[in-house]
Amino acid sequence: MKGVKRISTAARLTLISVVICGLIFPLVMTGIGQVALPWQSNGSQVYFENRSIGSELISQNFSAPVFFHPRNNSASGVDPDITLSYATSQIPRIHNATGISESFLNATLQKYRQYTLFFFGTPYVNVLNVNLFLVASYPTIYSPYVQ
Amino acid sequence: MEKSLQWPSIFLDSFKRLNPYVLKNNLVMFITEITFVIVLIMAIDPNLFPIVSMASERIFYSEVALILVITVWFSTLSDSIAEAQVRNTASSLRKMKEQMTAKRLLSSNRSNFEVIQSDQLKKGDLLLINHGEKVPIDSEVLEGIAMVDESLLTGESANVRKSVGSTLLGGSVVTTDTLVARVSVNPDETYVSKLISLVESSSRPKTPNEIALTILIAGFSAIFTIIIVTLLFLGVALNLGIDLAVVIALYVCLLPTTIGALLPAIGISGINRMSVKRIIAKSGKAIEASGDTDSLILDKTGTITRGMRKAVEFVPSGKHTEREVGEAALLSSWDDDTPEGKSIVELAYNLGFVPHAFSSIERSEFEEFSAATRRSSIKMSDSHEFQLPKSGRDILQRRRLRRKFVSGQQQQDLEIVKGAPDAIIDYVKIKPQDFDEKLQTISEDGATIMAVAETGDVIGFIKLRDEVKPGVKEKIKALREMDIEVVMVTGDQPITAGVISKDVGIEDYIAKARPETKYEFVKKEQKEGKIVSMIGDGTNDAPALSAADVGLAMASGTEPAKEAANMVDLESNPSKIIDVVMLGKQILMTRGTVTTFSIANDIAKYFVIVPIMFAALPELGALNLMHLTPHLAVISALIYNALIIPALIPLALRGNAFRPSSTMKLFLKNVTIYGLGGILLPFIAIKLIAILIVILRVAI
Amino acid sequence: MLSLEDLFVVALVWGIVIILAWFLSRYLLTVFTGAKSRLDRFFLPIENFIYFLAGVDSTEKMGWKEYFKALFYLNIAQAVLAFFILMFQQNLPLNPMHYPGMSWSLAFNTVLSFSSNTNLQHYNGETTLSYLSQMSAIQFLQFTSAATGLAAGVAVLRGFAGKAKTIGNFYFDYVRSLTRVLLPLTFVATIVLIALGVPQSLGGYSSIPTLQRDAYEILYKGPIASLVSIMQLGTNGGGYFGANSAYPLQNPTQISDFFEIGLMMFIPTSILFLFGRMVGDNREGRTLFLAAYVIYGIDLLLAFLPATQIGRGMEVRFGSTASVFWTVTTTAFTTGSVNASLSAFNPVVILTGFFGMLIQAAPGGKGVGAMYLLMYIIVTIFLVGLMAGRTPEYLGIKIEGRDVKLAVAAFLTHPIIILVPTVVAFVIGAEKTIGLTTNSIGFTKVFYEYTTAAANNGSDFLGASANTVFFNVTTGVVMWLGRFLPMLFMLAIADSVAIRKRTPSQGLKTGNLSFVIILVVSIFILTVLTFFPFLVLGPILQFLQGFKTGFGGVVLGL
Repeated sequence: MKGVKRISTAARLTLISVVICGLIFPLVMTGIGQVALPWQSNGSQVYFENRSIGSELISQNFSAPVFFHPRNNSASGVDPDITLSYATSQIPRIHNATGISESFLNATLQKYRQYTLFFFGTPYVNVLNVNLFLVASYPTIYSPYVQ
Repeated sequence: MEKSLQWPSIFLDSFKRLNPYVLKNNLVMFITEITFVIVLIMAIDPNLFPIVSMASERIFYSEVALILVITVWFSTLSDSIAEAQVRNTASSLRKMKEQMTAKRLLSSNRSNFEVIQSDQLKKGDLLLINHGEKVPIDSEVLEGIAMVDESLLTGESANVRKSVGSTLLGGSVVTTDTLVARVSVNPDETYVSKLISLVESSSRPKTPNEIALTILIAGFSAIFTIIIVTLLFLGVALNLGIDLAVVIALYVCLLPTTIGALLPAIGISGINRMSVKRIIAKSGKAIEASGDTDSLILDKTGTITRGMRKAVEFVPSGKHTEREVGEAALLSSWDDDTPEGKSIVELAYNLGFVPHAFSSIERSEFEEFSAATRRSSIKMSDSHEFQLPKSGRDILQRRRLRRKFVSGQQQQDLEIVKGAPDAIIDYVKIKPQDFDEKLQTISEDGATIMAVAETGDVIGFIKLRDEVKPGVKEKIKALREMDIEVVMVTGDQPITAGVISKDVGIEDYIAKARPETKYEFVKKEQKEGKIVSMIGDGTNDAPALSAADVGLAMASGTEPAKEAANMVDLESNPSKIIDVVMLGKQILMTRGTVTTFSIANDIAKYFVIVPIMFAALPELGALNLMHLTPHLAVISALIYNALIIPALIPLALRGNAFRPSSTMKLFLKNVTIYGLGGILLPFIAIKLIAILIVILRVAI
Repeated sequence: MLSLEDLFVVALVWGIVIILAWFLSRYLLTVFTGAKSRLDRFFLPIENFIYFLAGVDSTEKMGWKEYFKALFYLNIAQAVLAFFILMFQQNLPLNPMHYPGMSWSLAFNTVLSFSSNTNLQHYNGETTLSYLSQMSAIQFLQFTSAATGLAAGVAVLRGFAGKAKTIGNFYFDYVRSLTRVLLPLTFVATIVLIALGVPQSLGGYSSIPTLQRDAYEILYKGPIASLVSIMQLGTNGGGYFGANSAYPLQNPTQISDFFEIGLMMFIPTSILFLFGRMVGDNREGRTLFLAAYVIYGIDLLLAFLPATQIGRGMEVRFGSTASVFWTVTTTAFTTGSVNASLSAFNPVVILTGFFGMLIQAAPGGKGVGAMYLLMYIIVTIFLVGLMAGRTPEYLGIKIEGRDVKLAVAAFLTHPIIILVPTVVAFVIGAEKTIGLTTNSIGFTKVFYEYTTAAANNGSDFLGASANTVFFNVTTGVVMWLGRFLPMLFMLAIADSVAIRKRTPSQGLKTGNLSFVIILVVSIFILTVLTFFPFLVLGPILQFLQGFKTGFGGVVLGL
């Protein structure tokens, strides 16, 4: 008898919990997120020519020699960033493919430079942002390569 | 007193204890013996253990087996030594209990008795004990007064006076007069019998801490068993090149063999040390509880002070002089048999306050001190010349001769009353103006005050003081250093109690105590969660003694007190409660140090054996801090593991020596020595053993 | 070597978390003692309504058996519900991607994993689970298992503190953990995480053409922020994504990274202070706090010893500092979320991870970590306390045979459920079925798998590759045993000490630095004694071998 009571209590409390924690809570948060912070809530998408070209946070497949390339093996597989030194090592290739001056490429990297520990740590850049800047700066060079 | 130990029988006994059936009560040693058997079989036929043994290692296996069996033997040896010590103590105690004849009265007529063996006596039998005879059994005096020699039992050389109601201890000797006594216990229930049976009992119930410690040891054994078994399977599954003998060596090294081997001996030796001090503990639990004492209740009288107040000063009141008070005090105390009375006579005599001439003592009427009136008095008439004796001692002598007196025949013209000040005022009904003020001033230093009145007029006061027993102050200091709260209980006034307690360094005291005060106090302290220890001897103490966690009764005390207590001191020395507390602590501490040491040792043993146990993993050589070859590492670690047992036997039997200090200080000191030391020592010792093996060119 | 920058960042995060945790502990005291509070006007009606619906009496004092039964039955019911949601998600709403249901063994493993607060994942969430499963199975169990752990931990602390003379009432603790602690804190944390870039959406996963011609990416928009906030706050650790907090949508920036580290540390740290408040002597809480943080600090120092550079398996935006900091923290607090692949680290870092999980109390999961600390204290005090010349006592409670028996049983649970299945896996060759080699690296991975399961941590090397019936079932069982057996034993001790007489502490004092040192040394010794040979065969051997052959992408600079 006591066992039956305990099972029914467990079942009822389970249903209450799932409604509160498993439905109401995430749905309410989704509502708040969509209303108050819609851009972040929907994946921090970047727009190019009024069209979403994906999330700023997700690495994109840049394989053409005219772009800075992301790394392929990192933990998430979609690491949007590369270290500044890896980016710098790609400058000659991009220069050869596009003719854009190495100093401009270098300056671009410096412009988008971030650090892993805010003001110190390893410097790195977001590949998408750098490439977007190049596309915007040299639309004619890049137009064959973009969608 | 201690006989020297019988080593041949100890060795024989220790070998008998290797019998697995006997050994099965000691988990760790039982396991060790099983591993010995396994390695022995490996040595005989290595092929029985494919993969994990090699035929070329037979000598090594034999050596491992030998060290394993020696390890077990060291453990049984420690048990045997401890038990031999106890048997020694028991046999010395048994001398007190040896068979003797007893005269059992068959009727109230003293000439109507039969002579029987003391073990045939029963509780309630009446005994006749003439002077020069031994008291056959614990009994209570019904008729007669006699001096009794208890030195065999208590070590106290002075004879003790026993009168109606006194307790006679079996084994003591009546040196004067004849007594009739009633047997108070059955022969097998005497405290001595209880002690001997406790001491000799091999199936002592384990104390709470022993139980908990046994569980902890079993827990560690379980952990190491899991580790070793899984390691063995893993070694085979991953083909790591392990040898069963090495795995077993690691296992035995990790097992808490040291504490496992010595735990029984520590317990037995604790009981033994108690018995050597002539204290009968009814259980090991009580000994352990004494170490936990938070609050210790001490009677002022008897424990802290000698219990004899001595007169130290006469103080006059009003226009009276010191001499007048002294002389009156002498007269009033002339037939006062109490220690106080005697000391007043002595003081007066020493100060020369003796009347030139006064009424004959023989013509006086003496009223003894009683608890009801709280005064004593002397009424005198007539005037015979009184010859002054040559010394104070002579006065006492003469007094005894003049005890008889004839009363009521003469007119009484002088009455001297002395006693408690308020009782005297009640009696004389007139209070001098300066009485309260004077009383206040002279009692400030805690002295006991008696007032003296002569024919209705208060003439002054007698100041008396109790003497603190030698050594008590130091012991109390030690107790307080060990964080034990010491409480003094006395029937005295608060001022008196305060002064004495301050004198000996006690902060808490209970003055004006009534018989039930102790019981109430014990209960109050226990309610606060404290462990309370106390001593007692009177029937009044029985409820408190039985309520207290540790109740130590005096053998000279009453039967109910002894029944209620869980320890009895044969020497009836109340301050021994302090030794009991120290001994309790010592036993707990010894268990703790050996346990910690045992576990702390394991770290080094891991670092000695693990790096060499996987033949397929030479990279682990980097962990081989001791740079020992596989055989040398295993043999040295095992030898260390075995030798540490006999090395610690003296510690187990004698207990940790320690200076009284706070619990935390003691703890930290022991943690440093046995914890940190336990981690470091085996590194050094194992290396030294290895070096010695190499030097001695022992083939391994 | 720990650089000045590393030290600064660690100190900054520690400082902020510790201060906030101190204040949280004050709030938790009113929550769990049921003291009157201004918030009652809001919360009480909700809680009373929940009690009413569930038909429970939240004021009834429970013994340890009742408390545990109430807790255990509830967990079973929740696991059963989640099991059916995972198995039949294709027939349930909120599955815009039309993912099929899980296999029985994976669903079994997953529900045991999440209900035990472990969050070991033998699947990749973004390609396996429907929105409903993420919300009503995963996130739901993350809330309830956190509330369960918090309740049990608080009950144990309550018993030891002794003021209430009871371990309390499970329903009271569970419901209040949810309404007053977890839901409000996750509410705030979710909003912060959204602001930092973590999505919160039900818009479905979509393939988007990216900047370069003919390239696409899948944007996994989902109810991520609400899940991440409870997974970190509740020391659950199971992520929305297979890559867990390395995946940018779960952990977009350095700020979100440190924020999430702080979330993991927040409740477990405040529980340590809560104990002092419950006892009525903050020094006792300080002892737990210092012991836990000293061990955690030693692990961090060790982990920072080898110079780790950004390499394979590490996210660039976190760099090596945040990756190492996270990995040590996630194991020390038994959270189990990861922001880098464990394979990326020097074996020394993995060794410190092992320490965190094997100790489980440095500081361990919320509630449960403090519970384990008390277990270590009992074993330690009994091991060394006799040397004070008194029966060992803690907070004036004399430690009895039964306490030692139960504490040792709780302690023994761990080696048994880690070592036995690890060895069984190798004896039957299970490691080969998932492509592991039988060397120190393979051994480390399997040993880590059962350690993380037993410690209810959830970080692992194997991930979805361990989705075999053998690993699903064995780790599943290990997770529940590792979760509920120690809880049962410790509740039993707590219940008996709750009403036990206490000596006004005259013996061993535990509220001081010397005891902290003794406790820390004892915890290390107990752990090393139990696991040394296995750590030697795993990360230590890997380290020694790597010393000769190099560590691949990881540079060693001791």
